Amino acid sequence: MPLSVSLSIEGDTTVIELTGELDAKTAPDFHRTIEKAAGHGTQTVEIRMAGVGYMASAGLRSLVFAQQKVANDVTIKVVGAIEPVSRTIRTAGLDRSIVLSDE
Amino acid sequence: MTTVTDMVELARKSCALEVPATVGALGEIASFVMRLAGAAGLDKGAAYRLRLAVDELATNVVMHGYRGGGGRISVRGRSGPDGVQIVIEDTAPPFDPVEGRLPPAHGVPPQDRRIGGLGIHLALTSVDEFGYAHRDGRNISTLTVKAEGTHRCPPRP
Repeated sequence: MPLSVSLSIEGDTTVIELTGELDAKTAPDFHRTIEKAAGHGTQTVEIRMAGVGYMASAGLRSLVFAQQKVANDVTIKVVGAIEPVSRTIRTAGLDRSIVLSDE
Repeated sequence: MTTVTDMVELARKSCALEVPATVGALGEIASFVMRLAGAAGLDKGAAYRLRLAVDELATNVVMHGYRGGGGRISVRGRSGPDGVQIVIEDTAPPFDPVEGRLPPAHGVPPQDRRIGGLGIHLALTSVDEFGYAHRDGRNISTLTVKAEGTHRCPPRP
């Protein structure tokens, strides 16, 4: 299943909305969007993942990449991830530096 | 007319898939695995774990095993009332996922983290049983996900 990625700015937050499946084939699209988002200079990058039904480690690599691209004081939030996706994020230990939120 | 007995027999039958080791073929492997998960009646969580594990191991073969040099991956599966067993084979250089596992670097700050290396760890923590052998020039990984939720430390009777 393909991945659709959208990018917008809401106040001081850059919003990336993902729908579909995030794996080795589709993660490069997410990667490119993160690069654009990092250039916006907002205080928060919010990644809305409620529409992501599957995420492999390629998605984790994108999240680590996002942390490395943004300034230290920028908050990265992952919002609405389904349980197996948030479990994957926790397994990698990324919940220590990324804010996982239900809504 | 398909009877219940036929369906059970079908579910017990082993089936196989062979694809080129490319990122584009990973979707076909995922569909194959999800069909087996459905035949075994795995719940959503167990099916997700099985798909993730096979996807990560197959992705590793594509990205690192053949190192872009081409090759094939064969996936065999068997589903039954107890769960699903998948065997992944490739002819890339020997690689034992258990030896090559890289656990998450929890203490390392994000900016210093290596990007990647977590796929094998995710795969091995997603299945109920895992085995590896290298035979006749082939890497052979065997993954099992049980139909019912597995209690890693079952209570004693």
